[in-house]
This record gives sequence, C-alpha cells and structure tokens, in this order.
Amino acid sequence: MATLTRQDLNFGQVVADILCEFLEVAIHLILYVREIYPSGIFQKRKKYNVPVQMSCHPELNQYIQDTLHCVKPLIQKNEAEKVVMVIMDKEHHPVERFVFEISQPPLLSISSETLLSHVEQLLRAMILKISVCDAVLDNNPPGCTFTLLVHTREAATRNMEKVQVIKDFPWIVADEQEVHMEEAKLIPLKTMTSDILKVSHSQLFCTESQKLNEIL
Amino acid sequence: MDDLYLDNIDEFVNDQNKIVTYKWLSLTLGVHVNTAKQMLYHYLQQKRNESSGTPLHATYLVSGKCVENGSTVRYHKVSVVREDKLDAVKAKMDVTISVHVYSVQRAELKDSSPLYSTDYDAVKENLKNCNKYSAIRCAAAVPLSSSELQRAQETALVPPVEKEISKPGFNENTSATSKPSAKQPAGIMGMFASKNASKSQESSKEVKTEQKEDSSLVREQSKVSKALKVESKDTRNKTKRPEVVDSDDEKMESQQKKRRRIKKPQPDSSDEEVVPDSPPVPNVHTPSPKKQVKREPVSHQEVMRIYRPQTRHLYSPHKGYVSESYSESEEEPESNSQAKDSSSLKQSFGKREEEKKEKSQKKTSAAKKPTKQPSIMGFFQKK
Repeated sequence: MATLTRQDLNFGQVVADILCEFLEVAIHLILYVREIYPSGIFQKRKKYNVPVQMSCHPELNQYIQDTLHCVKPLIQKNEAEKVVMVIMDKEHHPVERFVFEISQPPLLSISSETLLSHVEQLLRAMILKISVCDAVLDNNPPGCTFTLLVHTREAATRNMEKVQVIKDFPWIVADEQEVHMEEAKLIPLKTMTSDILKVSHSQLFCTESQKLNEIL
Repeated sequence: MDDLYLDNIDEFVNDQNKIVTYKWLSLTLGVHVNTAKQMLYHYLQQKRNESSGTPLHATYLVSGKCVENGSTVRYHKVSVVREDKLDAVKAKMDVTISVHVYSVQRAELKDSSPLYSTDYDAVKENLKNCNKYSAIRCAAAVPLSSSELQRAQETALVPPVEKEISKPGFNENTSATSKPSAKQPAGIMGMFASKNASKSQESSKEVKTEQKEDSSLVREQSKVSKALKVESKDTRNKTKRPEVVDSDDEKMESQQKKRRRIKKPQPDSSDEEVVPDSPPVPNVHTPSPKKQVKREPVSHQEVMRIYRPQTRHLYSPHKGYVSESYSESEEEPESNSQAKDSSSLKQSFGKREEEKKEKSQKKTSAAKKPTKQPSIMGFFQKK
C-alpha cells in the first residue's frame, strides 16, 4: 500500500497542523481548569468529538493563535523541542509549568492503516487528562497569569528573528526567572505514542513549585 | 458478589486518576448498569467511612418531577449534579423519582465535559453492543439490514442537497433572527461576539446528531456517493494521486479523504478543495474516512463559517484586518503590543491581566459593543 514519507509534500504540514490544533485546545483547557481567567469567558466548543472549553476573549485568542502560528513552522521542521505553558503568580514567579514535549521520528512514514481516528483518540485522552489534573495539583494563588515559551534548537531562533512570521508579534528570549522554577516537583500527566509522533513520545507533564506548599 | 470490584474501582480512581462513570464501569467490567451503580455506591460508602486518604468527589443523576414557578406545567427533569448541589436540587423537585451515583473521581470537575469524554471512547469501542448492559430496552430497535441501509442512504442524499443550498443563505444572515433560541448572554460574554458562539453551537449540535449514525451506514454512503465524487475529483488540482479516482480501492480513496480533511485548514486557494468537507457532512473533525459523504460544492467561506470555531482564523489571510479594528476601537491593545516590543514579556502580561480585569469589571459600554462585534463578524464576512 502506498505510504507517505516525510519527504512527501504537506506531510510535515499535516503533523504540524494536528499538533497546533491540539495545543490550542489544550492551552484553553488549562486556562479554564486552572482558573487563570474567570470561567465566564469560556464557552463550550467541540473538538475531537467531545466538548471542550474555549475562551471567547478576542485578544486572548489572538495571542494564543499568534504564538502557535509562529511555533508551527518550527514543528514542521522538527526544531521545536517543547512548548511550555508557564503559570505565574502576581510577582511573576512561575508556579506551574505545563510542558508539552514533542518529538517526531526522523524517518517517519504512515501507511494507510494509520487511521487519524487513532490519533484523535489519543488526543482525546490527553484532553481528558488535563481536565482531571487538579486532582494532583495544588491550587494556585489568585491573580495568576500565564505565558507561553518554546524551547527550540539553536539555529531555529536565529531564523525566527530574521523572518518575522507575524508582524508586531516579536519573540524574545525568555527570562531566566520564567524558565527556571525553584524546587520543582515533576508530575507526569500523559504520554502519547503514535505512528505520527513516534520514537520518543509526546509527553505532557507538569512541574509545580513546592515552595508554595510551604507558604500556604 | 465478591468484593474484588472495590479494589478495581479503587485502582481506577486513585491510581489511574480516572473518572469512573457507571456506564464506563459497566462496559469495562461487563456488568449490568444497575450493578455498576451499586458498585459505585458501595465504594463511596466504604471510602467515606474510612475517612482517610484522598478526598473523592461524586456526581449524581437525579430525576424527578418539577413544577415551574407560577405555572401548572409539570415536567420531568433529569440532571447530573455535583454532590454538593444534590440536596438543593432534590429539594426543588416535587417528587424525586430516582437518584443514583453517576460518577466517582478524585478531581473536582469544573464542568460536565470530561464525563461525556469518558463515556465516549468506551461506547465507541463497543458500538455494536453498547446497550448490552443497559436497562433501557426496545424490541423494535434493531440495526438495519444492509439493503434497508442502502435505501435509506439514497433517500437521505436528496434532502441534504437541498439543505445545503439554503444553508449558505442561512449563515450569511448574521442577524439574531436566524437564531431564535439563542439568548444574548449578559455580562462578560455579552462583550464578546456572542453571535459567533451561538452559530458554532448550533452547527456543532447538528454535527453531533448526525454522528449518531452507525458507522456501517457510512460505508454504504461512500459507495453510493462515489459516482458524484469522481466528477468533482477531476477538477481538483491538489490531489496527489488523481489516478486513484478511477480505482475501486476504497481504502486509497479514504486516505485521500483523510488527507483532504487535514489540508482543509490550510490557506485555501481553491474552492474545490472543500468539496468533500462541506458543512452538512458530519465529523468535520473526526478523521473516520468512511464518513465522507458527497455534497455539492460549497464555497470555502461558508464552510469556514459554519464549522470552524472562530479561533480558526489562524489561517485567515486577513489577519491584519482583525487586529486593525481593535486599534480603532480601543487604545489598550495597541499600547499592549507596543509594550511587548519594548519591554519584557512579564510586563506585558501584567498589563494584559489588568486589562482583562478591567474588561470583566466594566459593564458593556454602548460604544464598545458595536465596534467589537463587527470586527469578529468581519472575519467571517471578509473571506
């Protein structure tokens, strides 16, 4: 049966599309579940055949989309190691980090037996895991904000600076303060292996600052 | 009945951090739903009596008769409620007919979506005998035979074609009259484009009902509609293997459909691209290849309007339009983006947060509302 290889036109784009869609949904869901923003701005939408919560705030949506739009070419070229969603408290110290580790096998081919419904199922499971994550996470202090970071390989950032993918949406190197979290506790949430994202897997884990536990 | 099931449930809930609904439990353990409900109840009792370990949360299904305030209309109400609201809901009912445990989980759920999610996969696995353990029975409810199926598909093809023609007109009509049932949400939501929300909700509801078709139904559909497909495929220039169209290999075709479906969100240059993915087709997001039903070509714009949540304007070539309109109506976003340019991300987030707080506290000002909504609606129309 005919197979698609990485060299095939659009294959990288397909995978990047799927991943970015998923990341968008996951980010909105984390914002809802961790109560970063009031639940009034969220609204039920459908994704992968299950209801998910998406925000209606135009600027928030725009920010998330612009970020992912810039991340997409990195994923396509397999230069993005991980996408991190950092939740920070009022003093901008990171409280929680949701890390999406993405890896794609170098020589990947999908055959016609690879049904995308299987990938959908795995992504559905990821979404479900995010929904129940507050069983294993402590509550955040009020007034938290979030930011999105991308960990890439060295060359990629230089390219990004040269080519501004979206006007007036520059990327800057993240502060050490945002990246590094003190006394982090690692809580794995979900690992997903599929033919499209094989070898190492897509991992979602959360690191939580333990310092908070002492304060509260 | 032996107590092994208590350990099973314990493992699911505490070790795997799963949401255990009674339906999921009955399908997993292969027991009748009523048994599953009792199992969950006993498990809860046991855990609560122990009064140690991690706290558990439960949801209940309550059904009973209610009377509307001030009217004589009595209706039967069935609802899933969280444990803390259980007594309140029961008190509101005239007669409580049944109460049973719906689910047990460690996490405190913010909304009901995960409950649906848990059951979705379990039911999908056992589609043929998902009602094996059910308490609801109907002798007349049997799957259609394949000949009946084909007949049903042929008749079903005709009305959707008519439905499609009316649909583009339906969606172009942005006034509230097209959505009589959608009420205008107040407060925070009222500030955003609520019209889009109701639109996507309606379309998603439609898609949902169509999804309830049996998967075998779709196989027949694809066979019948293949003739129509060939015609439109010839005009497509994006397919990689046009010779496949002639082949009888359905698998290859379905792979094509898969690819087409994924290609859909890309910046669209051709209208033909859209042909198999037109609105009335269920499962725009489900890649099940069999569910591709041939429809008449619908312009991509309409498709985007109906099925894509507004966040899809990621791919819109008119992104600039949206951001420009914001700077017209508000100064805040402009200053915000400038802040990002000059200062660190941290500061801009502080600003963003303040801005959001302001927005939530402000009541909808008359001046803002009309400018905001057209900007969002503008996305849909601009295409």
